[in-house]
Amino acid sequence: MWNYEKRLQFPVKITQTNPEIAQVIITQYGGPDGELSASMRYLAQRYTMPFNTVTGVLTDIGTEELAHFEMICAIVYQLTRDLTPEQIKESGFDKYYVDHTLALWPQAAGGIPFNACEFQSKGDVITDLMEDMAADAPH
Amino acid sequence: MNMGCNTCMDSCSDRKRLLMEIGKVDFVLKDLNLYLDTHPYDQQAIEAFRQYNNLKTALVREYTEKYGPIVLNCLDNNDREWKWALQDWPWERGYH
Repeated sequence: MWNYEKRLQFPVKITQTNPEIAQVIITQYGGPDGELSASMRYLAQRYTMPFNTVTGVLTDIGTEELAHFEMICAIVYQLTRDLTPEQIKESGFDKYYVDHTLALWPQAAGGIPFNACEFQSKGDVITDLMEDMAADAPH
Repeated sequence: MNMGCNTCMDSCSDRKRLLMEIGKVDFVLKDLNLYLDTHPYDQQAIEAFRQYNNLKTALVREYTEKYGPIVLNCLDNNDREWKWALQDWPWERGYH
C-alpha cells in the first residue's frame, strides 16, 4: 500500500502561463516514455522479479515515478492556469481544451492517449530490465 | 493561499524554508534507499539512512506543529479542524 506526502518532490513555481510549452511537456505525463508509463512499468514488473533486492528497486523506483508524474502535472497545471479564450485558440490548446478543459489528462504531445502498450512486463529478468533501460535512458 | 500564514511574510518564508529542508533530506533518503536495495549489507549506508530518517522525522514534526500536516502519521495538535483537507494542495502556486 502507499501513503501520500503532501508536498512535491521538487518545488514547482511557474509565474507565467504558457499553453504552447504545456502541450509539449504533457508528453512527460502521459506519453510513451512519460512518468505514468514509468511508474506502471516498474510496479507491474516487480511481482515476477525473482530477486528480493531487485523487487525492492522496482518498488522504490516505481513509487518515486509517482512523485515525478505529480511534478509534471503541477507544471502543466500551472502553465495553463487562467487562460483566456483567445490564448486557448491562438496557442492551439483548443484541441485539448474541447475534451478536457484545463483538467489534467494523460496523453502524448501528439494527442495520443496514455496506453499500457507503451511498456512491457514479460516475467524475464533480463528482458524486463532491458525494457526499463530503453524507457529511462537519456535521449 | 490558505496555509494559515498569509498575513505574515516571515512565517510564510519560514514555512517554505522548512518544506525545502524536508525535501532535501528526503532526497538523500531516497538515494540511500535505492542504494541499500542492492547493497543491503553496507553498514555505513544503513547508519546514514537511520540518521537522515531521524532528521526528517524531527523536521516533519516541527513543520506539522507550526503549519499543519504533510503526512498523516504525524498529526498537528488541533482537534477542532482537519487541516489536511482544509489547506492548499502542493501543486498550487505559492505552496512551495
